[in-house]
Amino acid sequence: MVFNTGAALLDAIVLAVVSRDKEGTYGYKITQDVRKAIEVSESTLYPVLRRLQKDDCLEVYDRQFDGRNRRYYKVTEKGTAQLELYETEWRSYSSRINGLFEGGESA
Amino acid sequence: MNRIEFMTELAALLQDVPEEERRDAMQFYNDYFDDAGEDKEGEVISELESPRKVAEKIKADILGQQPEKEYTEAGCQENSRTEKDMPVKDYSYQGYQYESDVHNDEEKKPWSSNILKVLLIIGIILVGAPVIIPCAVAIVLVAAACIAALFMFFFAIVIGFGAAAIVGVVLVCAGLIAIIPELAVGLALIGTGLILGVVGTIGTVAGVKLCIVVLPGICRGIVWIFRWPFQRKAVA
Repeated sequence: MVFNTGAALLDAIVLAVVSRDKEGTYGYKITQDVRKAIEVSESTLYPVLRRLQKDDCLEVYDRQFDGRNRRYYKVTEKGTAQLELYETEWRSYSSRINGLFEGGESA
Repeated sequence: MNRIEFMTELAALLQDVPEEERRDAMQFYNDYFDDAGEDKEGEVISELESPRKVAEKIKADILGQQPEKEYTEAGCQENSRTEKDMPVKDYSYQGYQYESDVHNDEEKKPWSSNILKVLLIIGIILVGAPVIIPCAVAIVLVAAACIAALFMFFFAIVIGFGAAAIVGVVLVCAGLIAIIPELAVGLALIGTGLILGVVGTIGTVAGVKLCIVVLPGICRGIVWIFRWPFQRKAVA
């Protein structure tokens, strides 16, 4: 992978991954899912989740699992709105880049 | 390193972040190890690299929070992002670049005030140097001269009386020699010699005793004088 994943794109990817589970999902699974899509070190994802949580894009709750409390992350309304915005931005961004690569049509 | 060592070190490294942040991070990584399972413990630890790296990322993000909100209603802030998102020249994938920038910004603040202090001190030294240095040298030299004079004074007392005693002895000898040709001169010389010898001996002994009493006192006084400005500084 030669392209860097910027902070905004990483936020968008994490929001997208978390939003696939309506019930919410947990840290290890989020990390594995994100890493299926992009190369990113495991230690990078916790700060992203924490930040999204503080910005009210994600909410957390603890649920019993296997005799212990497991922390779950769930996308909030604000997070959903934010994700939609990211998706729109991404479509326009990637189509402009694609247009450029595929033969100079202006976007 | 095993999981327990990893978590213990991480907790120690997160001592300086707010309690809530530390607990949240510890819970996350605890869950993480639990969910990865025991058989993947080594893999997770090598992927996370080191507690230090994990802690640095957490701290960089906490520090990065305060200056600006990441999310506004406008969403991603194009102007502030574009620079950060520029790929670096070398194509090796560095992960996620922005945290190092944020980290640096935060560390500059305490630095600049330190630099200011150092510059101020250098400035004072540069401005004051032509006056302060000669004055300081003069004061030190005068003090040294006073101390030397004090020591010399007591030293001179001892030497003076010592010399008188020696002269007394010499006079007694001269008197003994002179007593044969001229009795009166010889007796006078012996008498003077005895008096001088006794006075000289008494004076020398007294002088040495005086030195023994006075010199340690002077030394203590000097030490006290030199310590005084430092003590005052410590109080102030």
